[in-house]
Amino acid sequence: MTPAIKTTMGSDVTSKPEDKSHLALHGRSRWLGVLSLLAALLAWWLIARVSNLPAFILPSPGQVWDRFLRALSDGTLLANLWVTLQEVLLGLLAGTVFATVIGYLIAKSRLFERLVSPYLVASQAIPIVAIAPLLVIWFGPGMSSKVLICALIVFFPVLVNTVVGVRAVPASLHDLMDSLRATRWQTLRFLEVPAALPIFLGGLRIGATLSVIGAVVGELVGADRGLGFLVNVGRGQYDTALVFVAIFALVGLALILYGLVAAAERRLLMWQDSKTS
Amino acid sequence: MRKLLTFLMVAFLLGLPACSSQATAIPTTLTQVRLPMGYIPNIQFAPIYVAMEKGYYREVGLEIVPDYSFETDGVALVGAGELPFAVVSGEQVLLARAQGLPVVYVMAWYKDYPVAVVAKTSQGIKTPADLKGKKIGLPGLYGASYVGLRALLNSAGLAEKDVTLDSIGFNQVEALAADREQAAVVYVANEPIQLESMGYSLDTIKVSDFVQLASNGIITNEKTIAQNPTLVHAFVQATLKGIRDTIADPNEAYEISKKYVETLSSADETIQKKILAASIALWQADPPGASDPLAWENMQAVLMDMGSYTKPLDLSKAFSNDFVK
Repeated sequence: MTPAIKTTMGSDVTSKPEDKSHLALHGRSRWLGVLSLLAALLAWWLIARVSNLPAFILPSPGQVWDRFLRALSDGTLLANLWVTLQEVLLGLLAGTVFATVIGYLIAKSRLFERLVSPYLVASQAIPIVAIAPLLVIWFGPGMSSKVLICALIVFFPVLVNTVVGVRAVPASLHDLMDSLRATRWQTLRFLEVPAALPIFLGGLRIGATLSVIGAVVGELVGADRGLGFLVNVGRGQYDTALVFVAIFALVGLALILYGLVAAAERRLLMWQDSKTS
Repeated sequence: MRKLLTFLMVAFLLGLPACSSQATAIPTTLTQVRLPMGYIPNIQFAPIYVAMEKGYYREVGLEIVPDYSFETDGVALVGAGELPFAVVSGEQVLLARAQGLPVVYVMAWYKDYPVAVVAKTSQGIKTPADLKGKKIGLPGLYGASYVGLRALLNSAGLAEKDVTLDSIGFNQVEALAADREQAAVVYVANEPIQLESMGYSLDTIKVSDFVQLASNGIITNEKTIAQNPTLVHAFVQATLKGIRDTIADPNEAYEISKKYVETLSSADETIQKKILAASIALWQADPPGASDPLAWENMQAVLMDMGSYTKPLDLSKAFSNDFVK
């Protein structure tokens, strides 16, 4: 008899040899990730030391760490991080809501698709860095222009994945819902949303990381707060270590957002894993 | 006697071309020098274009390639020894040296700091003290605009908390025209002229009317000065000739600049010539190219008050007037 073990979700499952090896592999992957990170830090330290480049060209990991501690202790880092985080979250929310609504309408109506597609494709052909200064002029230098830029950059990947996800629902399942006399709302809630969710969340993961880029682009153009502003300040004062601190903070923010969406994905799509197992 | 005179005449005539070619001999190999200007191609860089077109740089063995990347990138490249020269504003030198970049300011192009605060006359902002409580737009909380504004505020005994600052990028004209800002920090030879051409009546408060600050000029690095002072002297002298010729004949300089500024031929000539004239008014360093030590002391005081650095720098190492003589 195979022993029962508790999973991280708290339910008892029967332990199988395949589960044990999967856990071992997962554990090894984590350690490999940490080792890879340490190797990269070591390479950076070696390059900085051997090349003897001045700090304003390539600060060492130690110098960046010192600068990080200073920015943390004087409140600069957290204050600017908070501003960028607000812009990212609001932009992500706005972009996702609009993309989901318009994506659903496109998926359900070929006429609507023909009407809006040219504008949507054209809007994505315009580089956001080119249009950002115009948006700052039109919407002002405050948070609204940054949220808008962020929403614009999130919009397309979420839109495309919404359309693909909704259209991927097999016609036979629609027929089944029709045969059960399901209302439109019931079809949406019990069929289309669960069926489209995996593909939709894939787009959301991409959107979440891109949202950080959107916020920073807006701040680089014109802002007096935020991590993009911190990059400009660091550049303007030849404080390259501060630029590194801001960049790493942005990377951390993007990774956290990606991780949150991935965690939500695992939670919401648990039924997929139990079905395949 | 006749034969002797003929011989001497022929010899003299044959010798003339050799003499003249020695007087204006252009080196056969030219050293290419990329020159960061810190802004887009603009009529304000006319002296460089004039010096290039008239061969002042070629005469000393240099071929100048204008580079329009960011000012801070130019400073970093010169500080790293990747480039020999750049055109930058004075505060960049002290900010860079505070971070260990060995840059040295070797020629003052502008005597007067070109930053000003402008407002529509309806705002009633006529002196620095009138800025109290006002909403002021500026490109960002860094660079010459920010330094100039802080210097103006200091002159009126005001602190940054006494005003509201908006970082609006390079959109001062639009922001003032749309009344989004009550005042804006601008380059005195640029935005005010554009706004007045649109029919707006303005009050302009120039930083240079209240404090002398080290302004735009040429930088090099300590290594180039040590290893090749002749190059530095040659470059500075060629640039000073360009400035001198532009001041002497702005119309000629304008025509020459059309070759180097792509949009100039189709731009409004009246406005562009006003911009050039306003720029020339800022270039009146006496003697030409010489830095004023007081301007550097004032600049250090402003930067330290802003918290840009805490330990005073040895200003004697930040600039040199040796190459303008």
